[in-house]
Amino acid sequence: MKKSKNGQKQVIKKSHWKKITDSKTLLLMCLPAIAFFIVFFYCPLPGAYIAFTNFNYKAGIFKSEFVGFDNFKFLLNSGSLWLLTRNTILYNLAFIILGNILQITIAILLNEIKNKAFRKVSQTVMFLPYFISAVLVGLLAFNILNYEFGFLTTLTKFFGKNPISVYQTPKVWPVIIVLAQLWQQTGYGSIVYFAAICGIDAEMIEAAQVDGANILAKIRYIILPSLKPTIIILFLFAIGGIMKGNFGLFYNLVGSSNATLWPYTDIVETYVYRTLMNNFNFPNASAVGLYQSFFGFVVVMVSNWIVRKIDKDYALF
Amino acid sequence: MKIKNDNITILVHTIAYILIGLFALACLLPFLLMISASFSNETMINQTGIGLIPKGFTTSAYALIFKVPKMIIGSYVVTITMTVFGTAFGLFIIAMTGYCLQRKDFPFRNVISFFIYFTTLFSAGLAPTYLWITKYLHLKGSYLSVFLQLLMTPWLIVLMKNFAKSVPFEITESGKIDGAGDFKIFTALILPMLKPALATIGLFLALGYWNEWYNSMLYLSSSSSIKYYPLQYYLYRIITQAAALKNSLAGSNVNPGTIPTQSLKMATAVLATGPIILLYPFVQKYFISGITVGAVKG
Amino acid sequence: MKKLVKKLLAVILTGAMLLSFVACGSETEDTSTNLSTNSSTTAQTTENSDIDTSEHVTVKFVVLGNRPTNGRLEAMLEKLNAVLTEKVNAELDLQYVEWADWQTQYNLLLASGDDSIDLITTATDWLDAWPNVKKGSFMPLSEDMLKTYAPQTYASVTAEEWEKCSYDGEIYLIPENHYTQYTNHGIIYRGDWAKEANLAAINNFTDLGKYFQYVKDNKENVIPWDVSGTAANGNALASGYIQSNTDNILIEGIPIGLSTLFYGTSKDDAYTVTSPYMVGTTFEEFALMMKEWADAGYWREDVLNYDGDTRELLKAGASGAEQHHTQTYVTDDRPNMDIKLPGSEAQFYSFSEPSKNLVKTSITHGSLAVGANSKHAQRALMVYDLLRNDEECYRYINYGIEGSDYIINDAGELDRPDGWDQSIDALESNFWCGRNDDLELVNARYYKGSADMYSNYNTYAIDYPYGKFVFDTTNVSTQIAAMADVCASYIPRIAFGKVDDPKAMVAEFREKLKAAGYEEVLNEVQTQLNASK
Repeated sequence: MKKSKNGQKQVIKKSHWKKITDSKTLLLMCLPAIAFFIVFFYCPLPGAYIAFTNFNYKAGIFKSEFVGFDNFKFLLNSGSLWLLTRNTILYNLAFIILGNILQITIAILLNEIKNKAFRKVSQTVMFLPYFISAVLVGLLAFNILNYEFGFLTTLTKFFGKNPISVYQTPKVWPVIIVLAQLWQQTGYGSIVYFAAICGIDAEMIEAAQVDGANILAKIRYIILPSLKPTIIILFLFAIGGIMKGNFGLFYNLVGSSNATLWPYTDIVETYVYRTLMNNFNFPNASAVGLYQSFFGFVVVMVSNWIVRKIDKDYALF
Repeated sequence: MKIKNDNITILVHTIAYILIGLFALACLLPFLLMISASFSNETMINQTGIGLIPKGFTTSAYALIFKVPKMIIGSYVVTITMTVFGTAFGLFIIAMTGYCLQRKDFPFRNVISFFIYFTTLFSAGLAPTYLWITKYLHLKGSYLSVFLQLLMTPWLIVLMKNFAKSVPFEITESGKIDGAGDFKIFTALILPMLKPALATIGLFLALGYWNEWYNSMLYLSSSSSIKYYPLQYYLYRIITQAAALKNSLAGSNVNPGTIPTQSLKMATAVLATGPIILLYPFVQKYFISGITVGAVKG
Repeated sequence: MKKLVKKLLAVILTGAMLLSFVACGSETEDTSTNLSTNSSTTAQTTENSDIDTSEHVTVKFVVLGNRPTNGRLEAMLEKLNAVLTEKVNAELDLQYVEWADWQTQYNLLLASGDDSIDLITTATDWLDAWPNVKKGSFMPLSEDMLKTYAPQTYASVTAEEWEKCSYDGEIYLIPENHYTQYTNHGIIYRGDWAKEANLAAINNFTDLGKYFQYVKDNKENVIPWDVSGTAANGNALASGYIQSNTDNILIEGIPIGLSTLFYGTSKDDAYTVTSPYMVGTTFEEFALMMKEWADAGYWREDVLNYDGDTRELLKAGASGAEQHHTQTYVTDDRPNMDIKLPGSEAQFYSFSEPSKNLVKTSITHGSLAVGANSKHAQRALMVYDLLRNDEECYRYINYGIEGSDYIINDAGELDRPDGWDQSIDALESNFWCGRNDDLELVNARYYKGSADMYSNYNTYAIDYPYGKFVFDTTNVSTQIAAMADVCASYIPRIAFGKVDDPKAMVAEFREKLKAAGYEEVLNEVQTQLNASK
């Protein structure tokens, strides 16, 4: 950390007005971004009030009748609150845990591949799925899984067995969704770990090898420990979003009207979308959204607090 | 001792080659199936299913699309225009903001940083945002609703901030000594030094615009002012709505009941995805540097 | 240092929140004041009997359907707009609500309160007219306003008919009260195949099943009914079965999401509310039968994830049936199948046939509303008056350009030019809220047997008994929302047989609906229905 000679103390002493005039150009330069976030993120915030109203289109949000927590009651009445929370969190946990294990494994194995061409090509191919839209992911999955002409059907027929109706079998969907997520994100995610491994002091590894450490020992005692900070940081980032779902992935994989799968595939985002789309019910949709936001906020705060207790350096704020 | 060591090494290496190779194949397989299906005969698909090798090889689906390419070309124009302008515009704002927010002599940097970061912690949710954008900003049925919302994300600003940190503060100071204003320092001195960062973040932005379908679904559908949809949303409609598929072939004089539905969907998907996939091996390295900086220092 | 930063952050955070509240709060107020000034000016000018058309305006008209891409619509609009400009200095712009997710898109469009929308196609039965009236989507139309700006229309609607279009003493809808059609739903199937299967005429679900089985067994590459398992189709099938097998009469305007659950018991006991979904064995029988149909493969295994153009597939000979209404059969499916599949002898099984349970198409099946925030309400009404009553405009909007879109044959009937194919060349202007028998041309291509069908329906059809009933959801809106979710999760699956145990599923469905507040909503409907007598 390099500080300018005047030091920061003087800056603090300056009056607020002086601070503003001194840095007016910098402030102006930040203005477009600030305006953007005000318009698209802060301005809709008061609209969350809609969750407490009996919304009338013509009167608008703030002139509609206030009904307190009535709209939240339906969350409990429909019995879906628990289901949604559970699904969202479990899916995210699976994504985080399995995703990281797979990414680390791939990164370590990639590091062991000495043939540069092979490494480059395979890395490029693994990165490919990251570049496509959720729409295409849905289509690719449908190509494989659908009963009439999917690749899976082709295969089962080839082996003389009866095709499976995947889209009518809810239980297999957690696996499919997790696989799709891993398929799309692993190539991308493993790069971070790969870079971290490349950053390990080569001398340290050589020294260990001279000492007679075999390849497994190298992985166990040198590579994995050196990845620890990266793992923790990425984990923290991920935990913050544990109540947020990847709408595009779920919506495109499951389809908009296949109710059979919902008990296993519904997350907060898809549910909110459907409440809006099936019921045109703005108050209830925003009630669910608000619940999600509050829950997510608490999770971030608590996990950050815990991390601070353990090690301040890793805390987000 | 040494022999045993080597055996394990060979074993691990073999496993590495096999596993990485298999995983890479798994990543590739769905794409191969899609391409194969796009060249397959429709009745063959329906009878025997999609395979790795096109069944009853035919280019009729592509021929159909190219016979009346107006719709897909229109979508291409929309998407490319948005991607180019959105990336350029967003990139400039993100770079400017990221640079300011890491300036140690900028007293409001923490405040503004948090103001931006807060949006990732708490948001209004879909319903209020939808109402705000349609009812108060009147952006329903305007390309702006898609264009503006994809301009920047808090994460990209943080990423840019981290990149900008690596530019020595002395450069800013030397500019100040020469009497240059902050904006001048940014455009003349800093921006050229941020080239790798611009490439990385520009790619993330471009990818966001290219793959956009969600905002289009919310804000562009059912609007008389919108004739051409962004590419991925166009694809979404082709895939999920029989009527959209029929409309895409308007003017081709094909009997709607005999459209080769599946292969046509696949061919459209191939055409909608092709360019970005052909482009990406060349830009991959920028992504790698971006992810590394973003994750390790983030 | 760190503490200070933290404090600052806290202050700024709350500051920012407040700021955005203030900033946005004031903006919202602006919009609403704008709104009220708007309506007050409307009121003022309405009192003025002088009609000022000096300013050229574009009237935006919301119609249902897929915007055609064959260029014919634009060509027609160009000609029509020249006429409209000359007569009332206005032009027409059509805004389409597409068929995919149409209920959703329609309601979302209205919810957005878009002030550029002037005219809106609506309906009390198949579009949520009354709920939208209550939500404030439509502008109340004073009699003065109608008399002044839509005089011909006003004169052609009787006081009694206006009453059916009113809520709380104000007129909201303009009915399509002078147009003969039957929009009762049923199944369109192939007469030739039914004959081969030794089924003279299909008039109930059991025979329909036999027909599907015959198609399944004997027609290669044909799916007996290549339907998409959307919520809308599931609901239509379920209510069709109920219509065929009970005397219950559907009460319109109580949408539970995309479903409609509440019925009057029968025409003799119309004011006792019931729900066949909840009571009796009909729904259970339906579930069992549909499970059998699904297992037998009458539709695709992946029906719930499938979207196909069933009508076109039927016309192409790839599907054995389609579900829609008499009007579609008479004007589209039958005539076009006679051309494309000669000898197919398409037939129509009306869901009303076995039970003789049929309500006549109400005058508000196609009705027009004016957008609540419309800036050109008066001019919009003037344009509508022309579309509905002026022969030249009427023919443009309904038929297109004479010579290229339609011709008038020697008998004075409407016909189409050679090579015209409805699947490709349709105008799709979809003006379904002001057709007028006085100006309607006899269509030479329409199915000639329609008269017989109508006279058959007329022997047993009754008038809709609840014309003046508008349900107020205020007291039970949370229950309805919860029930809507249950319906969306269960009805499509039950309707397309995608369940392991239909009986258990129906029981579960009923239990969930009860937990969501079914009884309360039922009581509320009953109370309000009694009060409306």
